[in-house]
Amino acid sequence: MKNTIRVERAIHNITQQNLAEKIGVSRQTINAIESNKYVPSTVLALKMAKLFHKKVDDIFMLEEND
Amino acid sequence: MISKLLFPSRFKLIGLIIFIPALILGIAYRFFDFGVSFLSVHTNGKNIFSNGIQNFTDEVALTGIITGLLMIAFAREKQEDEFINKIRLESLQWAVLINYVLLIIATWLVYDASYIDVMMYNMLTVLIFFIIRFHIMLAKNKSTIND
Repeated sequence: MKNTIRVERAIHNITQQNLAEKIGVSRQTINAIESNKYVPSTVLALKMAKLFHKKVDDIFMLEEND
Repeated sequence: MISKLLFPSRFKLIGLIIFIPALILGIAYRFFDFGVSFLSVHTNGKNIFSNGIQNFTDEVALTGIITGLLMIAFAREKQEDEFINKIRLESLQWAVLINYVLLIIATWLVYDASYIDVMMYNMLTVLIFFIIRFHIMLAKNKSTIND
């Protein structure tokens, strides 16, 4: 699975730390998600989508091997 | 989302405070025949296995070591979340696996009375491996942060 969180952060001009605080996780977690090392739970994905005013599948998309 | 089976994060420090003295006591008992005198109890069963005195230094030490290690191992991180929880569970799985692989190897390499030592250490190594692995993985993830 890939995601566009880094892009969304740039659009909304917020840092990893800001985003982490807003959705109640550690900065490591945001970093791991952005670098595709960790797939977030549905709850976390929904929280991020809500924050960026987007649908979940605008931010997260399946890859061929998923 | 976050595991309820965790101690508050301050337990990591409390665990360390219990673990270190208990470990020193355990080493003193095991390798230097040290026993705390007031922990001796006279039993009525004097036979070839026992001189009628039971000293509880090792029981106290082992209880302290295990309690301390459990507190360190299962204390919540200051900022606990689902990713940390995943690292924790993977580390636990890794530790159990390594622990039993080493036990099998030791089973074939160590015999007779020395094997008692293997079993004694094996009681504690699973927690020790887990704690080490978990903290290495946490540190690794912290170091790769870029913004």
